[in-house]
Amino acid sequence: MAFHSIAFLFGFLPLCLLAYYLLPARFREGRNGVLLVCSLLFYAWGGLWLLPLFLAACLIAWGGGLLAEPGKPWGEAVFAASLALLTGALAVFKYAGFLGENLKALGLDVPVPSLALPAGISFFAFQAISYLADVRRGVIPPERRFSRLLLYMAFFPQLLQGPIVRYGEFASCLADRRESLADISAGAVRFCFGLGKKVLLADALGSIANGAYASGDRLTVSLAWIGSIAYTLQLYFDFSGYTDMAVGLGRMFGLPLPENFHYPYIAQSAGEFWRRWHITLSRWFRDYVYIPLGGNRCSRGRQVRNLLAVWLLTGLWHGASWTFVLWGLYYGVLLMGERYLWGRGLEWLPGALRHLYALLLINFGWVLFRAGTLEQAAAMLSAMLGFAPGGVWSGESGYYLRQYAWEWLAAVPAALPVKIWLSGWLEKQREADGGLSGAALIWGPKLLALALLGLSAVRLLSSTARSFLYFQF
Amino acid sequence: MKKLSEKAFLACLMALLLAVPAVTLLWSRHKADSFYENRALAQFPAVTAESLWDGGFGEALESWYSDHAPARSTLLKADAAVQMKLLRRPVVNEIVVMGDMLLPFIKYGGLKEADYRRVVEETTGRFHALNAYIESLGSKFLYVGLPEQRIYFEDRFPAYLNDGKASMAAADAVFAQSLREGGVDFLDMRAVFDSLGRPAEYYPAVDHHYNYYGAYAAYRALMGHLAAEGFDLPVLTEADLDFVELPNPYTGSRNRKLYNLWPSPDRAVVGIQKDPVAFTRWDNGEPSEIPLFSLPATEEELVYYTLYMGGDFGETVLKTDRPELPNALIFGDSFTNAMETLLYASFNETHILDLRHYKEQPLKDYIADYRPDIVISIQNDTFFYGDGTGNDGVWED
Repeated sequence: MAFHSIAFLFGFLPLCLLAYYLLPARFREGRNGVLLVCSLLFYAWGGLWLLPLFLAACLIAWGGGLLAEPGKPWGEAVFAASLALLTGALAVFKYAGFLGENLKALGLDVPVPSLALPAGISFFAFQAISYLADVRRGVIPPERRFSRLLLYMAFFPQLLQGPIVRYGEFASCLADRRESLADISAGAVRFCFGLGKKVLLADALGSIANGAYASGDRLTVSLAWIGSIAYTLQLYFDFSGYTDMAVGLGRMFGLPLPENFHYPYIAQSAGEFWRRWHITLSRWFRDYVYIPLGGNRCSRGRQVRNLLAVWLLTGLWHGASWTFVLWGLYYGVLLMGERYLWGRGLEWLPGALRHLYALLLINFGWVLFRAGTLEQAAAMLSAMLGFAPGGVWSGESGYYLRQYAWEWLAAVPAALPVKIWLSGWLEKQREADGGLSGAALIWGPKLLALALLGLSAVRLLSSTARSFLYFQF
Repeated sequence: MKKLSEKAFLACLMALLLAVPAVTLLWSRHKADSFYENRALAQFPAVTAESLWDGGFGEALESWYSDHAPARSTLLKADAAVQMKLLRRPVVNEIVVMGDMLLPFIKYGGLKEADYRRVVEETTGRFHALNAYIESLGSKFLYVGLPEQRIYFEDRFPAYLNDGKASMAAADAVFAQSLREGGVDFLDMRAVFDSLGRPAEYYPAVDHHYNYYGAYAAYRALMGHLAAEGFDLPVLTEADLDFVELPNPYTGSRNRKLYNLWPSPDRAVVGIQKDPVAFTRWDNGEPSEIPLFSLPATEEELVYYTLYMGGDFGETVLKTDRPELPNALIFGDSFTNAMETLLYASFNETHILDLRHYKEQPLKDYIADYRPDIVISIQNDTFFYGDGTGNDGVWED
């Protein structure tokens, strides 16, 4: 079930909230039980066929955690076996087809399996791995109650697209949390803002990007730039919109989820971008791959190897395709370049040029990410550099600028920390204007949230909404 | 105040979130179709083990819920108004709204001439076979191709939008050439209208069909063509008809997509015969009282193209009981409707098939049973090829 579906907004969510809050707060386990049942229903909405694999992953994590606790005999072996089962499932469902295709391309007569990808597998497999690794390292004790670990894995706000939560952060709130009116309200506001980002901005920008990427020999220089910038904005509003909804929902149930985005497009380098984009994934790779490989406390050669390994895996995590591999390696190379070659030089540049540098690199990177094939990526990139089959300008470019003029106008400030600047300014004005700014600070976001909910619902009724982009990963 | 705002906000939010399902459950059973979207609304899905297993139930329930949400049409109409009048988008609900008429948004790209050649062969091959069969029975086959409104007004598209001009011209030329190569007598009404100077009054601003003036011009050209082929048929001239403009607002298919929000300058026209040719009518095998023109009861009532012959039927039969005249079979799309009100007067019996809806028997068998003297296919050029046009039923091996 998608957060931006009518069934979720006007069915699942209010019923879940009612069931949860009709139970008195002292029945903590009862409330957790409501969340667990709702989460499993949420996941099974996409088909009961999803449940067996998901439950198996939860059982592996739970059982593996109990047996792999430090000091247990065979702990290391159990840990390795559990990891192998989880990564094996991920590999089979996500990469078997890709592997088969490539072997076939090399002339080997192998069958190419076509397996339906279980929703959220990349996220829940990573959560299970992080839980097992933390238990094995002794960072957290193993969870003895299966229902709690199941809720950690299944908690519907983060089940399908993250943020990737660690059990240590989650478990303490499961046992002891206090839901407040302020949190529920702030969570609901955040949810509505995320919904608006997704439905009103990301989907419209997605139409532009889809048009540009499908233009073939009509592609012009202007259309390539318009399409790539539209996709850059679409991806941000799509994924950060989802994260806003997830974090907002978590807050409504008193379970805080980690932030995933921190205005990534104000970054001044590729390195800074990755400290602001999909933060929980970067953190996962840092803690469970990069550091165990030796991190940067080793020779430069090994650092390079570690970075390349992490970025190769990051690329592959996003999808089984050579474009994702290339995209991952692109960032690996950029980050190494910034660390060892031109990072110092960047610091001497004016801020505006550093922003431009980062935005251009990010934009080029998303072309690799979005393109369906390496050929399409090459066509888009060459068009952006001036070599377009359709010339410089076409009516199609004009159409995408005119038709989506409002989305373009709204998207740029919405990708910047305007909300923070505006709140800061209103705070300063609060004393001077006799409370008007204070009222705007208190009522403004709530009224805007209701308006965004209404506008998004109307757009959803016209059936033009698209699936979340990160849903495919 | 902060606490008050939080309580008020959450109260509003929960009221909204709960009101929608409550009203949907109360009202959903009253609606079966969406008039403005011209489609049936989704039915409540059946719960089956298979649909629960593969997620089909969830998807279907989402469609049902979305279709039956309270005040859906009103909200979508308000949304269209905002898009059109406030945000001033050039295209709203796939309709170009920036000019002095409503045209469809044509996606960029599409097929090229070489692609059309490949696609066309399949369709024209059926007409070649049909033509040969009809000629073997000693009858006449004529294909009448009509330009759709967007083709007729292709110069009215804003410059930055795709007018489809080049691709449609190439496609139409390929189609006409291919038909003629197979020996089919093809009357290209686009060329006829061009020779008449493409009068703007032949097509409405808000509908994809021609209007009655366009239909009448096409009828005269068709009758002239048949006369040249040796058919001596009575013709309804201007002197035989009173062209009456109805005062009612004419709601075309384009404006319908905009919830009738575009101020339409169009009025429907009917050609009332001064000395009517009497007929008896059957629709889908049943006797029918539907007149040539389904006139509105009041001057305020909205009028649609279904005014002509009461809209589309799988099979309509009109008998004038004049055995000295030939019998005709007409098949095609809704462009036939307006012309049927004129054509029937030239024949003893006129059978009209809409192959999108008529599935009783193959066209070949129908012709074998009916043995018409003339078979006329009347289609607009967006129907020349493609799915859903009924042309796959023209010739079934």
